[in-house]
Amino acid sequence: MGEPEGSVRPDGGSLPPRQARLGDDPHRPIVAALLGNPNTGKSTLFTALAGIPTRVGNYPGVTVEEKIGRLTHRGRAIDLIDLPGTYSLVPKSPDEQVVVDVLHGRLPGVPAPDCIVIVADATNLERNCYLATQALSLGLPTVVALTLGDAAADKGITIDVEELGRRLACPVVRVVAPARQGIEQLGDRILAAVGSTPTPPRGLDAHMARVDARHEPAAREAIARYAWIEELLAGVVRHHPPARRPLNERIDDLLTHRVWGTLIFAATMLAMFSAIFWLATPLMDWISLGVDAVAGAVEGLLPPGAIRSLVVDGVVAGVGGVVVFVPQIAMLFLFVAVLEGCGYLSRAAFLMDRLLCGVGLGGKSFIPLLSSFACAIPGIMAARTIENPRDRLLTILVAPLMSCSARLPVYLLLCGAFVPNVAVGVPWLRLPAVVLAGMYAVGVAAAALVSLVLSRTVFFGPPQPFVMELPGWRWPRPAVVLERVREAVWSFLQNAGTLIVAVSIVIWALASYPHDDDSIAAEVAAGRASLAARLSELPAGDPDHGELAEQLAALDTEEGIEAARRGAAQRQSLLGRMGRLVEPVVRPLGWDWRLGCAAIASFPAREVVLGTLGVIYNLGDVDPGEEAGASALVRRLRAATWDGTNRKVFTLPVALSIMVFFALCAQCASTLVVIGRETNSWLWPAVTFTYMTVLAWLAAFATYQIAASLLG
Amino acid sequence: MPASLEEVAIGSTARVTDVAGDDPTTLRLLEMGLTPGVNVRVVGTAPLGGPLELELRGYRLSIRRHDAARVAIAK
Repeated sequence: MGEPEGSVRPDGGSLPPRQARLGDDPHRPIVAALLGNPNTGKSTLFTALAGIPTRVGNYPGVTVEEKIGRLTHRGRAIDLIDLPGTYSLVPKSPDEQVVVDVLHGRLPGVPAPDCIVIVADATNLERNCYLATQALSLGLPTVVALTLGDAAADKGITIDVEELGRRLACPVVRVVAPARQGIEQLGDRILAAVGSTPTPPRGLDAHMARVDARHEPAAREAIARYAWIEELLAGVVRHHPPARRPLNERIDDLLTHRVWGTLIFAATMLAMFSAIFWLATPLMDWISLGVDAVAGAVEGLLPPGAIRSLVVDGVVAGVGGVVVFVPQIAMLFLFVAVLEGCGYLSRAAFLMDRLLCGVGLGGKSFIPLLSSFACAIPGIMAARTIENPRDRLLTILVAPLMSCSARLPVYLLLCGAFVPNVAVGVPWLRLPAVVLAGMYAVGVAAAALVSLVLSRTVFFGPPQPFVMELPGWRWPRPAVVLERVREAVWSFLQNAGTLIVAVSIVIWALASYPHDDDSIAAEVAAGRASLAARLSELPAGDPDHGELAEQLAALDTEEGIEAARRGAAQRQSLLGRMGRLVEPVVRPLGWDWRLGCAAIASFPAREVVLGTLGVIYNLGDVDPGEEAGASALVRRLRAATWDGTNRKVFTLPVALSIMVFFALCAQCASTLVVIGRETNSWLWPAVTFTYMTVLAWLAAFATYQIAASLLG
Repeated sequence: MPASLEEVAIGSTARVTDVAGDDPTTLRLLEMGLTPGVNVRVVGTAPLGGPLELELRGYRLSIRRHDAARVAIAK
């Protein structure tokens, strides 16, 4: 094979001859690598060629997505490797390194490609030819697929495909992937190219000689390559600006307008956020109802005992806890895929870059962080759209600090019950609402602080280039959008789901064992005695008198006894013992050991905290989502006192310290599992858990101490 | 004295004469087509002193202001 003149090889390596190997076995699938700039319709072409990928995962050792699909053309199997979108073969990021490594067949477990299919966007061929000419210099059999011809025609661009093929010395096929035009021809060209010995186009050297020698070699090559491309494309690409601006450019004008553009952006983000926050809720409720129905059915089938408890409270609840996230993930990825498909995701990053730059992040962190206000899991998954690995990791680490929807019930209950409903400044602004907004602000401020500190210390390094293409408006392709949603949901269920179920079962065991009926009965009896003693000490006019009398009377009903037994069982379980064990740790936060128990029980999933409080305070399974359940819980919490005293547990400083703790703590095993899966390492979930827990404790401590001294 | 791309008014076009520096950002700017001789139109800018939106070689590119400062231009 002819050595391409003057080209700077990305890594100087030479390629082994492949056609010889391929000739050995005509039944071996051809391996084709799909290479192209981002936003060239590469995903659409992949879907048109190979359909649903046969293999999706991460490349070994990095968090760069690997996607391989299989197609059969004229009886010959072709494995298509979808490479991450890249602008150059001089690697500057892990995904670009992967592209170079795959092309050289250097990645273990990834077959060396027999040919390259370059996807080139007809609307800006000059820049697309940069990567294309680099790839051609590798000397592998290559076919160029020219996409977005319709958009180019709208812009008045015509391309002489035959002449382009002659100048690049490789076949060029015009494809309209959504309509499947040119797909057959592309397949034919791939079969024909494999086994041939290509001659890379010449001419770069002459331009290299003309570039100022003071530039670095790579910079010289870049300057020379563009000069060469301009020469290559002279006469091939013609511009005839249309009389009337095409529709997509007019949409673009509106979207980039100073006033309208910003308003449309705000409206779009609001719509996206509302959809994951509110539209997903009924779907999640249905899933919960379904899970309850399954649990009920299983309960009817199995005899009471440890097995039933394991299946109902461990397995079914665990699976339910996984499936319940699916609506939010699907909803967010639907939005992300549509925004990405029409090129708007980059514009969002462009608009928000300055704001996030200030705290060490980048514009692309905006959508993952915004989504995390609904739920950190889809938010962390959406961080896949951030190419820069440092920004991506930083975004993943701070995303769980955004107050997700599972924190809201805690805020609402405590704000409603313990924050005095007084006006702040203006009559319509009430203190509970201010505190509620404050909790969201606490999360945002903590995220900004953490990101600022981490970006200046652990993640300190040279600034990452923010040089981002802003693709023009384009209609999203339904097939690509649906594939993106399917892939996100599937990878969550398959990879994170199994682990989350396992974690749920472990937590169930901790909350259920040891279980000793005698000591439970003894604790219930002791509780009744202490209740009776407190009641006899209280004067009849005391506001708590009624509540305590009611609690005592409840212990004479079957339901009340059952609730008291469940409370005692939970307090005596390993989880409950851990609560007592951590009492010295939670004391400075103003909490009693029961609150410690509830906080520990909520580490797997913070949404259980209100239910757990109900169980721990002997109320049984209250549903804090219902008014009656919530008010019963509030009354019980208001009456709760420190063991053996009449001192109230829940005061305003304690309520504030609980809320701040919940705002900042990593109380979601599913989030940690997803962080592990997305970063391909157990280090980052451990880091997230540790820093958030420490931060939550410190902030809750400061809140309690300050509030207690201010409020006397 | 050569001006930089950062100083170009919105809506105007300038010709790139040089890109200073020898770090990955400079290389990326060159690779994206901001090479000496190319004509660039400054389309707009993001709020609060955010990145610039440029049009060159038939497509749109956004770069941060401090990166635009290293792109020398002739008006």
